[in-house]
Amino acid sequence: MSTVDVKRRVLPRWSPKLAIGLGLIGVVVVFGLVGPLVVGDPNTVRDIGLTPPGGSFWLGTTQTGQDVVAQIAYATRGSLQIGLVVGVLATVLSAVFGIVGSYAGGIVDEAFSLFSNVMLVIPGLPLVIVIAGFVPAAQRGSWTIAIVLAITGWAASARVLRAQTLSLRNRDYVAAARVAGERTWRVITVEILPNLLPVLASQFVFAVVLAILSEAGLSFLGLGASNSSTLGTMLYYAQNGFALQREAWWWFVPPGLVIALFGCGLSLVNFSIDEIINPRLRDVPRKPGKVAATVEVVPATRGSDDAVLTVSGLSVVYQGEKPVHAVRDVSLTLRRGEILGLAGESGCGKTTLAYAVNRLHKPPAEVTAGAVTFHDRDGTDVDVLGLGVEELRVFRWSKLSMVFQGAMNALSPVTSVAAQLDDVLVTHRPEMSREERRKRCVEVFTLVGVPPERLGAYPHELSGGMRQRVMIAMALLLDPQVMIMDEPTTALDVVVQRGILLEILKFRDSLGFAVVFITHDLPLLLEVADRIAVMRDGEVVELGSAEELNVDPQHPYTRELLESFPSLTGERGGFVRGTPALDGGVR
Amino acid sequence: MRYYVRKFVFYLVALWAALTLNFVIPRLMPGNPVDILLAKLQQRGGSIDPAARRSFELLLGTGGDESIVSQYFAYLGNIFRGDLGVSVSAFPAPVSEVIASSLPWTVVLVGIATLLSFLVGIALGALVGWKRGTWLDSLVPATTVLSAVPYFWLALILVAVFASALGWFPLAGGYDVILTPAWDAEFLSSAIYHGTLPALTIVVSSVGGWLLGMRNMMVSAMSEDYVLTAQAKGLRDSRIMIRYATRNAVLPSVAGFAISLGFVVSGSIITEQVFSYPGIGSKLLQAVQNNDYALMQGIFLVITVAVLGANLVVDLLYALIDPRTRVSGG
Repeated sequence: MSTVDVKRRVLPRWSPKLAIGLGLIGVVVVFGLVGPLVVGDPNTVRDIGLTPPGGSFWLGTTQTGQDVVAQIAYATRGSLQIGLVVGVLATVLSAVFGIVGSYAGGIVDEAFSLFSNVMLVIPGLPLVIVIAGFVPAAQRGSWTIAIVLAITGWAASARVLRAQTLSLRNRDYVAAARVAGERTWRVITVEILPNLLPVLASQFVFAVVLAILSEAGLSFLGLGASNSSTLGTMLYYAQNGFALQREAWWWFVPPGLVIALFGCGLSLVNFSIDEIINPRLRDVPRKPGKVAATVEVVPATRGSDDAVLTVSGLSVVYQGEKPVHAVRDVSLTLRRGEILGLAGESGCGKTTLAYAVNRLHKPPAEVTAGAVTFHDRDGTDVDVLGLGVEELRVFRWSKLSMVFQGAMNALSPVTSVAAQLDDVLVTHRPEMSREERRKRCVEVFTLVGVPPERLGAYPHELSGGMRQRVMIAMALLLDPQVMIMDEPTTALDVVVQRGILLEILKFRDSLGFAVVFITHDLPLLLEVADRIAVMRDGEVVELGSAEELNVDPQHPYTRELLESFPSLTGERGGFVRGTPALDGGVR
Repeated sequence: MRYYVRKFVFYLVALWAALTLNFVIPRLMPGNPVDILLAKLQQRGGSIDPAARRSFELLLGTGGDESIVSQYFAYLGNIFRGDLGVSVSAFPAPVSEVIASSLPWTVVLVGIATLLSFLVGIALGALVGWKRGTWLDSLVPATTVLSAVPYFWLALILVAVFASALGWFPLAGGYDVILTPAWDAEFLSSAIYHGTLPALTIVVSSVGGWLLGMRNMMVSAMSEDYVLTAQAKGLRDSRIMIRYATRNAVLPSVAGFAISLGFVVSGSIITEQVFSYPGIGSKLLQAVQNNDYALMQGIFLVITVAVLGANLVVDLLYALIDPRTRVSGG
């Protein structure tokens, strides 16, 4: 990995949050550093008693006439010092237990992890209070407090670091370094640490906030270090000087405010760091207003042939600094009961096209032109892009269902399969009784070859092939007229893949739905599809029957695609469309 | 099954660690706490019967030459018999009695407040995550400020505003002192009235943490395929949000409950001090101020056992809501 890459991933993006956060931290730190130099002695006792703000005392005085501003300046310095020391100590401890343990693995990891988890569930502050209670006040120095706070405050970070290290440890480049025989400490410092930096930084910030808060609590209880004054100490004196009862807000409000502002600044910085660790958390651009299609295309009317879905002049653009035209002016007609193959390499826009047809595309993707028309069995035409939110919801799945690529994640892992099928019926067929719904689920399960007793299973209890069959069963529930299958079988092995596909074909004829079959596997399409559209850079470059495409490809790209798949017999495509039974589907 | 066994074993180990810490700490500290205690007892006119001395010695370390191992086992024996020694500050009441009288106050206050803030935080977090890109986003930095505020300071401010200035709530205490504790409407309503501000303090300062965690998990869950599938299925938004996104996003929050509970308990100990609440946190502090070591240690043990117990319950609940734990043993 080059240094540029590391830098880009380690430095947070500039944002208002980050700016405000750094600003708050800066103000408090400067106040803590410079403040004590310019204010007077915070311990000078004057016989003016408790004075409200005004005159030479901006924030008034305490009951013994001490200047509150001077006290805060020194106390801020004290709190920052202890926060910094504890932050460093706790981060080092958590790094040792989290990173080294998980990297070493085996019994060391088990032991370290058990130790951190035990430390984590034992409540920290009561423990600190007990320890502080045993140490006589005279011997309670700031180092004692710092060490006690560090010992009770590292465990949560160690857990986070362990999880991160475990995931890094299994990355390819780390494995490569290990196989190449690099020393352990080198692998840790060169390969692992730079990638852990954002996490370490975030845990450090977290540790500092926690330390300042814990120390303030401890001092507030009168159990803090005897040789240093912090913001907590100030609040302790305020509380015991009855500031609250005497309504001396200037005495107890400012110290807490300094803690809150500093903690808030650190948290805001942590937001920015979290966004490096988990890019999904980045701010999304506000939803752009609905952009009217630039080209008004009249929704297609039913063609002479028995069309079920017409896409005309559809364009989809990923809006951004440099708009990406993922789909350009695509026109397609899907006939009733046919299998239309959509082929092309990864990134050619075939999935974007499929999503846009059902309006599942998310910002920044946007349909800029074109129309999608669904020709219903009962003779009405539906302008899909023009549907209202509720109409669209009703349209989805009952007219057009989808089987997604990677069935692993398409099912929610924590709900039984039956409930996820039932959901569809409850929503779309509210008139059905519980028994009727159950019966329908058993029906579709039987259809796709899954034993109905697996209905109660959770996704993790099913094999990959089984899960995909469940998805197909779900897609059949409402007897749709179109089913879009987006690489439905790529993750499965070849035998399972063929088995599933052939079964779909079997009942497609009897149920009479049309299929848009998306894949990069052209030979597979030649075998199963009636017609094939070849996509490249968002455009359909060739559309024809499977036969035509196989025998006489027109576009050079189609030829290129076909040639990139070696044939078993040596003759291109020779092995594919072998079964005469399937040839019957070709027009 | 394996999951449950693992969890039980883990909490047993944690309990053992806490008991051992409790045994080791006083022995590592300078000075002779037993002498201090006995001197205090004498000042109060307490008689030093040998049994009381023995139980102090087991808790805090003997001056004699008894081996540390036999002390350790005798100490464990005492603990399991519920003998935590005699409290000096509340002489002649045994520590267990002092704890028993103050524990219910804290359990009810912290229990209700934590549950409330968890539920509110989860619900708001789910909503803020789901409506990402709307004005609700601004709730996130706002709650950050709240979670950076020290519990006890927030308590001070609430007292200053709602008790001192506005007079809506009492300044301190757990109930009206003219009443005697009983299960009647008058006493209960007084207890609720007195508990409102302390509970509000805990809820306000801890809700931000739940909210932020839940919101982040929600954002992650929303880009999962099962949410896209649910949308393609034509389900209503509310159903997708609750049954798919929230149902999955809530898991880490529940799993992380253990960590947060420790913070909440720590925070509420100091909060009790501000309100002079008759709970276990105020007692702990009294014990520290009076060098009542036996009471101090007893309270630490009880708090730890309560936190471990709560965590165990949450872990068992987790197994119910995540079917995967039941097989993988994770």
